[in-house]
Amino acid sequence: MTTLAVLENLTAKLPLGVCVLNEQLEIEYWNDFFADRLNISCDQVKGQNLLTLFPNEAKYLKKKINSVFVLNNASFSYWEHRPHVFLFSSSRPITGEETLMYQNIEFIPLHVSNNVVKTVCMIVQDVTELASYYQGKKQLSEELAQEHSALLALNTKLEAAQNQLLQADKMAAIGQLAAGVAHEINNPIGFIHSNLQSLQDYSTKLLNLISFYEKVVNKTQNKTFMALQQEMQDRSQYSFLREDMPELINESITGIDRVTDIIKNLKVFSHVDSSEWQHANIIEGIENTLKIANSQLKYNVEVHREFQQPLPALFCQPMQLNQVFLNLIVNSAQAIDGKGHIYIKVSASSTALVIEIKDTGCGISESAQRKIFEPFYTTKPVGQGTGLGLSLSYSIVQKHKGSIVVSSELDVGTTFIITLPLLTPGDLETPS
Amino acid sequence: MIYQLSELQRDALQELMNISMGQAANSLARLIGAKITLSIPLISSVTPTEFVDMISSDVMWHTRQSFLGTVKGEVVSLQSHAGCEAIAELMDYELPLSDITREELLLELSNILAGACLNGFAEQLELTTKLSMPTVFEPEKLSPEHYRWAHTLLMEVEFKVESSHFDSKIVICLEAESISTLLSRLNSLLE
Repeated sequence: MTTLAVLENLTAKLPLGVCVLNEQLEIEYWNDFFADRLNISCDQVKGQNLLTLFPNEAKYLKKKINSVFVLNNASFSYWEHRPHVFLFSSSRPITGEETLMYQNIEFIPLHVSNNVVKTVCMIVQDVTELASYYQGKKQLSEELAQEHSALLALNTKLEAAQNQLLQADKMAAIGQLAAGVAHEINNPIGFIHSNLQSLQDYSTKLLNLISFYEKVVNKTQNKTFMALQQEMQDRSQYSFLREDMPELINESITGIDRVTDIIKNLKVFSHVDSSEWQHANIIEGIENTLKIANSQLKYNVEVHREFQQPLPALFCQPMQLNQVFLNLIVNSAQAIDGKGHIYIKVSASSTALVIEIKDTGCGISESAQRKIFEPFYTTKPVGQGTGLGLSLSYSIVQKHKGSIVVSSELDVGTTFIITLPLLTPGDLETPS
Repeated sequence: MIYQLSELQRDALQELMNISMGQAANSLARLIGAKITLSIPLISSVTPTEFVDMISSDVMWHTRQSFLGTVKGEVVSLQSHAGCEAIAELMDYELPLSDITREELLLELSNILAGACLNGFAEQLELTTKLSMPTVFEPEKLSPEHYRWAHTLLMEVEFKVESSHFDSKIVICLEAESISTLLSRLNSLLE
């Protein structure tokens, strides 16, 4: 075989497209790669203009090939940027998902004389396999990245939930502790209270007795006795003692009454017997709750009450409802920065009680409003809110077959409206 | 192996570089029709760590392109983020650039500059070498500990397109064996 024959055989079998172009971009040669795909033999195509043959990509091809002629420097086209310069069908028509061949193309100065490029050779490489592999991998890594970020988000959520659970646990433990302490304190408080009352009684009697003796001594007109009495009274500062003692005892009794009150409220809220259904006066519950919440309210919040009278007694779990009122009132107080107002309105229809708690606080954003009844949702700093208050309230109201709705405007305030139907014991299929 | 270039060799190499870089600048200027300024070519021998330090930059895009022939090595190009769009406009790309068209532009630019630099340089020293396709390169992923070479000879030059604040650096890195080939050619030229 001659070298030419070898070369002809070679270019015919080459898995590459080879096309030679002159300065007018007329095709001087192309190999079987082109000829077979386009059904135009090398002899037929000779002298035809490349750009008229491939009008769709004419602009791009012209630019690329011209730069080779001008600069005497090879130029490249990548499948990533221009996947299908020549619209050849896929090299995998049966098993492949691709319909068009992905191509890398090299444009090289072929015949150069005196630094002037006379012909340019275009070499087309079929990289469909590579491209589909690469694209598959890229898609996979995108999916992985997506899953990864989803997992990360889930992790953070779990972590937050765990923190909240811990917090809820802590709160429950504190509640139990408070209940225990309240119970323990109750007894000593009881006898201190009754002792103080006896003491008050005794001291009154003692003072009366002394007054009587005073009068008796004075009656005698005996200078010596009277002087002695005066001296003794001066020495023990009797006139001051007589004034101060009843006051001291009164103050102590008031103090111990307050302690008793607090203990009572603590017991009320420590879930002891809290699920008992009974007929109760809602107003009483609200007042009790306000006392409990007092420490949160007294400095900057003014509470306005508007209670319709008389109200029918409501068949309910009073302690649980108090819990709802407490959550709402405390939330309102916390939403108020500086001075503010809380309006509590209770009204009744023939079928239901409506309790409206309105504040002039910071309000709740619309996106947050959709979530506030979700368990563990909180906007308070870690450690301050459990995210359970409103979800608990929601479930309590549901147990009462009632509804709780919120309306809020940022920087204006929030209103919660609780509607509780007037139930009878028979309405509850499974009273808990 | 450390290649200690003599003063004479360095000067000669610098002059050769100057000429070939001039041709490269001329090519680019012809293609985009804008004025191009050139820095004085820098010739240095660097260790892997110095190499990584030198080409690491987060305000530049990077490409690499290998060449084969009587001398072998790689051309690394650094192209500034700034001025990219202006160059794209000069080169008749559709604006705004997408990630794909930007990559295409960078590869085309680096191919033109690297080709012109290397061809001019090889021609004068009567070396034959052929560049392969350039690819995008992320030097953040480099770790100098993994390099199998201790020193390489770098020839670098900076091109600036004044009208558009575009800045590009071409670094020709020679493989160890090719350095001796280069030096012997240089010596015969100097005799």
